[in-house]
Amino acid sequence: MDIIVCLFLFAGLFFFTGGAVGILRFPDFYSRLHPAGKLDTLGLLLSLIGLALFNLHHFSLGALLTSAKIILIVVFVFLASPTATHAIVDAGVRAGLAPWTKGEERR
Amino acid sequence: MKITGLIVTILVGGLLIYAAADFPAWSDPNSPASTYLSPHFIEKTMEETSVPNIVTAVLADYRSFDTMFETTVIFSAGVAVFILLRTFRRKEPEARHYRHVLTGVTMRIKEGKLPPSDDFERIDTLWTPPDLIIKTVCRLLIPFIQIFGLYVIAHGHHSPGGGFQGGVILGASIIVLAISHNLRTVVKRMSEKLDAVLCAVGVLIYAGTGALCLLLGLNFMDYSALASVLFVDPIMARSHGILIVEIGVGIAVMCTMVWIYSNVSSRGRYEQGL
Repeated sequence: MDIIVCLFLFAGLFFFTGGAVGILRFPDFYSRLHPAGKLDTLGLLLSLIGLALFNLHHFSLGALLTSAKIILIVVFVFLASPTATHAIVDAGVRAGLAPWTKGEERR
Repeated sequence: MKITGLIVTILVGGLLIYAAADFPAWSDPNSPASTYLSPHFIEKTMEETSVPNIVTAVLADYRSFDTMFETTVIFSAGVAVFILLRTFRRKEPEARHYRHVLTGVTMRIKEGKLPPSDDFERIDTLWTPPDLIIKTVCRLLIPFIQIFGLYVIAHGHHSPGGGFQGGVILGASIIVLAISHNLRTVVKRMSEKLDAVLCAVGVLIYAGTGALCLLLGLNFMDYSALASVLFVDPIMARSHGILIVEIGVGIAVMCTMVWIYSNVSSRGRYEQGL
């Protein structure tokens, strides 16, 4: 049980790290939003599933309820976070920000 | 001028630090706060008000006078934004734009206007179609956000929460609707007049509960007087009284949020919004 929880948490941390590196390293606004939207969602999803499993260590109805609430957080973040990223990209396109192309300088 | 400001800052800051040195140390068991008042709240809250959450009991019962005026502050913030920003243009713009909802055909009418109908919606010259993904996800999420807001208001007795937090969540759900569609969509469902009236009604529920206690023969805001109205014993009445004022706070906060947002986002013109 603990091994599975640790696997989930470390996988989540791995994706969080990838997201942070991506936000720092990618060249422009749109590509930076890509790790911010995708990797953070997946990292949060994995680590929260890990926490929900860890919470079931001492099985009881209350613990099951708490785990269900954590899973609900996952569901809503899974819906809301990519939509928020999409909205930001949409606003950038509408404001007329041109995407970066190969050979250009980092912005 | 800058030097005067610096001197004043240093003087006042020094005075504050000097005064703070006289405070009792953190978590000093012999300080006045933890010898007299805190033990009373910690030990007696449950038997006096039958509310497990001490914070809620202190906020809405023991210090309800303070909270009533906090609600009034929020109400006056809404009124202040309204007075500062709202513009009533005496002259209507000559041309009005309408969009047929089903086909998306827009038309411009030079004079006069269409009778209100569900087929046509009025739009502004800056109108852009709302994004389908954002629109769908917001429509999916808003009911859950609102249920969660109601839960936070109603569950303030047992867990962190209460009128202010729940009201903000409810207000945010309506602001999400305004962002994902446009401000006209919100105003169609929740008019400016309703906003303003509900703001005042929220404060009135709070103050009215207090005044009702006064009428029933006890002190202002002593909810145990409500026992004869609610048909429960005085201790339960205090618990129910807290719920009633929390609902009032929730209504006031929600409508103030929406009111401030619609004035700020449309520069007081109630048109397109952001």
